[in-house]
Amino acid sequence: MKHVVKILTLLVAITALWFGLLQTSVIPRSHTWLLPIYFIVSLGCYGLLMVGIGLMYFPTCPQEALLLQQDIKEAKEYLERKGIDVSE
Amino acid sequence: MELADRVVGFLLSFISLSIFTYYTFWVIILPFVDTDHFIHQYFLPQEYAIIIPVFAGVVLLCFLCIFIGFVILKSKKKKA
Repeated sequence: MKHVVKILTLLVAITALWFGLLQTSVIPRSHTWLLPIYFIVSLGCYGLLMVGIGLMYFPTCPQEALLLQQDIKEAKEYLERKGIDVSE
Repeated sequence: MELADRVVGFLLSFISLSIFTYYTFWVIILPFVDTDHFIHQYFLPQEYAIIIPVFAGVVLLCFLCIFIGFVILKSKKKKA
């Protein structure tokens, strides 16, 4: 519940800011109308960028992968000895 | 395996950065440039700067709804 309230207050604050910008007309009118769409597009772009960067710098651990394979082999042998069927 | 991941990641970030710079230019910088500058022929008319994101958003919403409906129908068929 609290997280939703935080997001909603953020949205209301941004809307109020945009409305205030409209009223005082510091920025030329045509720009103020386009600002919400611009922010949504840039937010989508930012998400895509974070996904791309995460994919690029994803840490792989080759030693842990090897240890994991050994663990799996040991577990399979143990279960086979006990008589449980572990064929894939 | 990680090379393919890294290429996909690089492609994604490149696409997102190019879209961001193009859109920033389109919406913010172009209205301040004189109308007979040569740069205007590289950008579509300004109405498209609103139509294209809205259209993409609507298409995404439709795709999401169709996908959810498809998954619900498939699970109901499997149960019955």
